[in-house]
Amino acid sequence: MRKVLTLLCLLLGISWASAQTNVTGVVVSADDGQPVIGASVVVKGTTHGTITDVNGKFSINVPANNKTLVFSFVGMLPQERVAAEDMRVTLKSNAQQINEVVVTALGISRDEKSLGYATQEVNGGTLNVAKSDNLINTLSGRVSGVDIKSSGNLGGSTNIIIRGNKSLTGNNQALFIVDGVPITNANSNSTYQTTGGQGYDYGSAVSDIDPNDIQSISVLKGAAATALYGSRAANGVILITTKSGRDDEHLGKNGLGVSFSSNVTLGTIDKSTFPSYQTQYGAGYGQWYSNSQYPGLYYGPLAWTKGQSVYYVPTTEDASYGTKFDSNLKVYQWDAFVPESPNYEKATPWVAAKNGPITFFNTAVTTSNTLSLSGNSDVSSFRFSYTNFIQNGILPNSRLTKNTFDLNVSRKLAKNFTVSSQVNFTHQNTVGRNGTGYNGNIMTSFRQWWEVNVDVKELKSLYDLTGRNVTWNMSDPADGNTTPIYWNNYYWERYNNYEDDSRSHIFGNAQFKWDVTNYLSVTGRVALDTYSQLQEEHIAYGSVPAAFGIGLLDVPSGYSRDNINFMETNYDLLVNFNKNLTDKLNLTALAGGNIRRNGQNSIYASTNGGLVVPGLNAIANSVSQPLAPVEAQSAIGVNALFGSVSLGYDNTYYLDATLRRDQSSTLPIVNDTYFYPSISGSYIFTNLWKPEWVTFGKVRLNYAEVGNDAPFASLSNTYSQPSPFGSISLYSVNSTDNNPKLKPEETKSSEAGLEMAFLNKRVGFDADVYLTNTIDQIMPVAVSAATGYSYKYVNSGEVQNKGIELHAYGTPVQTKDFSWNVNVNWSTNVNKVVSLYEGVNNLQLGSFQGGVTVDATVGQPYGLIEGTDYVYKNGQKVLSDGIYETTSTTNNVIGNSNPKWHAGITNSFTYKNWTASFLIDIQKGGSVFSLDQSYGQADGIYPGSVGNNDLGNPKRNTLANGGGVIFPGVNSDGTPNTTRVEADWTYVGGYLAYPNSAFVYDASYVKLREAEISYNFQDNLLKNIGIQSLSLGLVGSNLWIIFKNLPYADPEAGLGSGNMQGWQSGVMPTTRNFGFNLKVQF
Amino acid sequence: MKKILFILLAISAVSCSKQTLADLNKDVKNPTNVPGNTLFSNAEKNLSDQDVSLNVNHNDFDLWSQYLTETTYTDESNYNIFTRSVPDYAWTTYYRDVLENLGRSDSLIKSETTESASDIAVQKNRRAIIDIFSCYAWDQMETAWGNIPYKQALNINNVLPAYDDALTIHKDLIARVTADVAALDPSNGSFSSADLIYSGDVSKWAEFANGLLVKLAIEIADVSAESTLVNTTINNAIAGTFSSASDDAIFDYLDATPNTNPLYVDLVLSGRSDYVAANTIINAMTSLNDPRLPLYFDQNLGANTYLGGTYGQGSAFPNYSHINTAISNTPSFPHPLLTYSEIQFYLAEAAARGIVSDAAATHYNNAVTASIVSWGGSAGDAATYLAQPSVAYNAANWKTSIGTQAWISFYLRGYLGWTEWRRLDAPAMNEPPSPASGVVTFPFRYPYPSGEQTLNGANYTAAAKAIGGDLMSTKLYWDLH
Repeated sequence: MRKVLTLLCLLLGISWASAQTNVTGVVVSADDGQPVIGASVVVKGTTHGTITDVNGKFSINVPANNKTLVFSFVGMLPQERVAAEDMRVTLKSNAQQINEVVVTALGISRDEKSLGYATQEVNGGTLNVAKSDNLINTLSGRVSGVDIKSSGNLGGSTNIIIRGNKSLTGNNQALFIVDGVPITNANSNSTYQTTGGQGYDYGSAVSDIDPNDIQSISVLKGAAATALYGSRAANGVILITTKSGRDDEHLGKNGLGVSFSSNVTLGTIDKSTFPSYQTQYGAGYGQWYSNSQYPGLYYGPLAWTKGQSVYYVPTTEDASYGTKFDSNLKVYQWDAFVPESPNYEKATPWVAAKNGPITFFNTAVTTSNTLSLSGNSDVSSFRFSYTNFIQNGILPNSRLTKNTFDLNVSRKLAKNFTVSSQVNFTHQNTVGRNGTGYNGNIMTSFRQWWEVNVDVKELKSLYDLTGRNVTWNMSDPADGNTTPIYWNNYYWERYNNYEDDSRSHIFGNAQFKWDVTNYLSVTGRVALDTYSQLQEEHIAYGSVPAAFGIGLLDVPSGYSRDNINFMETNYDLLVNFNKNLTDKLNLTALAGGNIRRNGQNSIYASTNGGLVVPGLNAIANSVSQPLAPVEAQSAIGVNALFGSVSLGYDNTYYLDATLRRDQSSTLPIVNDTYFYPSISGSYIFTNLWKPEWVTFGKVRLNYAEVGNDAPFASLSNTYSQPSPFGSISLYSVNSTDNNPKLKPEETKSSEAGLEMAFLNKRVGFDADVYLTNTIDQIMPVAVSAATGYSYKYVNSGEVQNKGIELHAYGTPVQTKDFSWNVNVNWSTNVNKVVSLYEGVNNLQLGSFQGGVTVDATVGQPYGLIEGTDYVYKNGQKVLSDGIYETTSTTNNVIGNSNPKWHAGITNSFTYKNWTASFLIDIQKGGSVFSLDQSYGQADGIYPGSVGNNDLGNPKRNTLANGGGVIFPGVNSDGTPNTTRVEADWTYVGGYLAYPNSAFVYDASYVKLREAEISYNFQDNLLKNIGIQSLSLGLVGSNLWIIFKNLPYADPEAGLGSGNMQGWQSGVMPTTRNFGFNLKVQF
Repeated sequence: MKKILFILLAISAVSCSKQTLADLNKDVKNPTNVPGNTLFSNAEKNLSDQDVSLNVNHNDFDLWSQYLTETTYTDESNYNIFTRSVPDYAWTTYYRDVLENLGRSDSLIKSETTESASDIAVQKNRRAIIDIFSCYAWDQMETAWGNIPYKQALNINNVLPAYDDALTIHKDLIARVTADVAALDPSNGSFSSADLIYSGDVSKWAEFANGLLVKLAIEIADVSAESTLVNTTINNAIAGTFSSASDDAIFDYLDATPNTNPLYVDLVLSGRSDYVAANTIINAMTSLNDPRLPLYFDQNLGANTYLGGTYGQGSAFPNYSHINTAISNTPSFPHPLLTYSEIQFYLAEAAARGIVSDAAATHYNNAVTASIVSWGGSAGDAATYLAQPSVAYNAANWKTSIGTQAWISFYLRGYLGWTEWRRLDAPAMNEPPSPASGVVTFPFRYPYPSGEQTLNGANYTAAAKAIGGDLMSTKLYWDLH
């Protein structure tokens, strides 16, 4: 193998220029003293060079004025040496390449080979290529065992699950820890939003972490890795280390560095994630609007026709099951009722619209500019950065602005005493997030309820002209009522019914480190994470009434505001001990404590019954007396003590043990304290057994338990207060019965891993298997409402996750100028609900429009999709009178939202100063229920609803006219179905003709997630003008969905982060982004 | 080193103050104790809201009674109620929002310290009224679903409540209301203004309870084994029940949201055009020259022109009669829960069945007249109407006479209209074009909520078997003819 590679390298090798001095030598590996074959030897600052032969030997001509040679080989640290006679160059393994030092729990740097659990590092630079409004989106496909689903919502939350869902009803999101500051990925979306009703995806505070400030990310996957963090880290940790002044490689001592990077990205919608429409039939649900030649149209006199009957469009009917288009047929359409329209009081040809809904979208423009200053000296360092991020979304009037300031300082006060601090301030302001779910969402109209005769550009021009809510969907225009019935003019809606929100977020820490002796140090840290958020929603005067505000009553106009304040403080004290007890025995020990306090309070107020003065967005401007605002206040406190001991013997055997004791305010006093241990070990077997081709090999094994506390205030019952009935107070028993006897829940996990590297780390892999059981879960279990409650808090239930993770890398080609690196992540997780609660074998996580539920069922994976199914006989679908029979039960398993496996493949290439890379992201399996298809197919907007039947006639013709369809399947007696049924809106497709299961799609995808090509300019040219480095790049993200099974939408798209995945309604199309990057360092 | 120990000590000191830590867990925004009356008021409103709503997610009985039909989205008119989980909503409302609140109201009132004799009497009255109102709710549930959890219901410590036999429940309700009537003391007060129906008037509640007894008895009039119970109950209750429409149990809504009549929310605030009059009722009333036509329906098609959409088929909103705007546009439009007219229909039936010795025609005429007058017609209109041979009481065909007129009178009280039709099998209803799977022609019962299949599976299965299948086509034990 080595020889082949060498040959390849030789063939691709570079010839060199005429010689001045000839130098020879040999390159050997520091690990084993063996020759390194194919190592590159280059005269510094030139392209002149050679590679070593099969004996590691080289010979090179060196110019007199430049005698520095650069020696490099993949997987090893490059080395510069002045040319000399008979050189012997020893190359050391590259620690960066295989991440030999990694950041672990509590920010402790550890030698990677000593760890008995899985971690995976991601370099900050790789995340910073394609700009996204959410850091998590850029992690997709980069780490094995991490399941990421981006919702596609502007500024929205992204679901991130490590090693499967563990908690039945609690938070399953990975925890982010930035320089010791924990930040959760929980969103502040309402229950109505998360169950697909209506609302906005307000995102999570994680999106305030600026990728520009990230030095590295370490992903701690299993319980053993996170045990020291305690309960909140049971779902895995994304550990982020931000850049400090010390990390700037271009800085010398006492230097000051300035760097600037700029990115402009243009986004357009991916047409494969948006509907195509049929163009043969227009507005209407059927043929019942008149007794005339065209019963699909109204026929009667209009105000201006002087009593003469004419054809006009049923504008209330947001479907396309109406009259067949015919350019010779002239009808009065919605615009005939708009005085400002050129078509006012005019009949126009009955044809499909020229400009469909796709013309509604703008090109998104994102700009991101970062300026950073850094400097260091012997005793201090600092880094300050400012990022301005502006994203104008694909929807009209949508804009996200983010300003981030980050300051990282440290100073040695004494030789053994350092203080440091990191502070991040982010102000985020968003206007016009897209609506999500079924109601109040323009995408629901485009995907489900639409008349294909409506021209979207005409809606724009009439809105621009009038400024009024001039809609195609008029209530009763013939009778003079042109107000909207279900759908506003979409432009009116975007510019008047928008939401806006802002968040001021500060997180940071202050810490000291005292090196008491060379083996004992003490670290103290105070970390703060606090934000205040304001979310304002509007319904402008003149809109379609919509469910709004407190109580979600239909109102013609309204204003609401939600003020949310959050604060978390953490106080940590750590004592570290690290000493070689003997030549071979090393002891690392740690003891510490943590005090955590969380507090959140919010107040939500809304107008009642509409706005008195249009456009005045104030609660006092309410038609009826405003309802009492909804207040919430919660606090959680956890005190913890923890310790760990790590023993290393002969750099070969390692053993770690940890113990943590938590005391939580959310548990009953008698049960509020709980201990949990972890133990892990590793063995570097290549220290004892090492064939030539193996560079490194290690096995590891661990077992860990993590305890968890209860949600706030789940111990005792309170009453809820509905709005008073006039002057009469109303109180109500709460729908959830709390439980004063809760005890901590527990996650037990074990893991085994194998890590190997070959051919001087040119190829390697890291594999893990794990098994995690979460037991005694604290959850509000759904109970029969006949108990008088909907939910009851219990300690019950067990969820098991087991899986395999694989991370592999290799360098197929390596020459002096060119290299090709491949990185592969692959993981699979099998999830099973082992038990729930006495006699209960199903837990409904959420109930959605369309009649489907997302469930946890005993013996099945968590996150099943349940609903109605076909009735089968001998494997054939049963029909009755030509129509599919559906089950009367709604608890049939029709889908599973968990993917079978995930993979990410990164290929990167460097050629001289060029760098190129692309990332393919693959998901296999998983299901999604599409309400868009369930309703949209019924409404006749998709191409599948037209065309010919088996007789060769248009299927939408009446049965008498040779139309109709025969659905495949059998009658109840087993004979094939031969009954032809009308292909009208109730039968031809959609939810009325089929059970829920017909609209469950495979969520697999293969995506070209990211691609980049960049050029680094030669240092010499730039140094003259004071530029250390300059690079220009073209980047793209979400460029191409190479494969998917879900029609007209992205299988990832959804409502946001959370436990209820696998349901789509009115999802946003995916944006393909193309950008231009500039990075310059002074 | 000493400093470290000191800091560690400090941490453990903090961790020891358990109570301080536990105090963080207090919900400071919601009460742990409230006056019992507030839960009663809430239950009254919740029941009335559920009964009157025609939101397709909550209550589809105005459709099933064929008073109305849907314009475009005809799912519910065709009995397709699963995609919206309508039975789940109703089930939860009855058990959790009505009965659990009533039960808690009772236990809170029971635990109030009472000293004076009059306090004790008021407390006793309140508890009896709670029980009467609970029985009213239980009756609606049991006549909708059949067997339901009853004895083991409303106990969170038993999350798998068994279902009880519906007739057994029904008889227990009669016994409970009979006992409540005896317990009421009209010389003392009760809830006062916290009672949103009768403002705490105990004598009115006594009349309500007697009316409810008549209703409970007549509902099982076809169950021959219970004829003695039916007979005794009705005869004992007659004297004590409503004597005129002024005694009606009416839930008066307010003008502002969220306390308006739900009809106003569903029909006006929603801005939607989902319902038109069904041809079933328009045709029936037109053929009888019913004076309530202009009171029930809008004259949107022209003066005295009424046209109903074909039941269950798509119907263009502008082409058919709408609900009278005097009803829909009145936010405070009152909703009746039990009326004099209704009781008179039951008594007419009791007379027709020979349970009471009065003249059936008298009760019948009283019932029709009271209905017309309470809808805004005059006694003269009623007399003219009743004088028509097609309307006059027909003893030979009393089920059609009473069934048709009761059904017309119960307009916008969908559940009652549907139940009366199920009992008396009159008038003839129209079969919708594409009835949902599992309904042969018409629904004769409400299917159990899908939540019960998953959350209370074994008991659900046993109950479904006991009643002859959890189908809409299953006839309940009292629906014998």
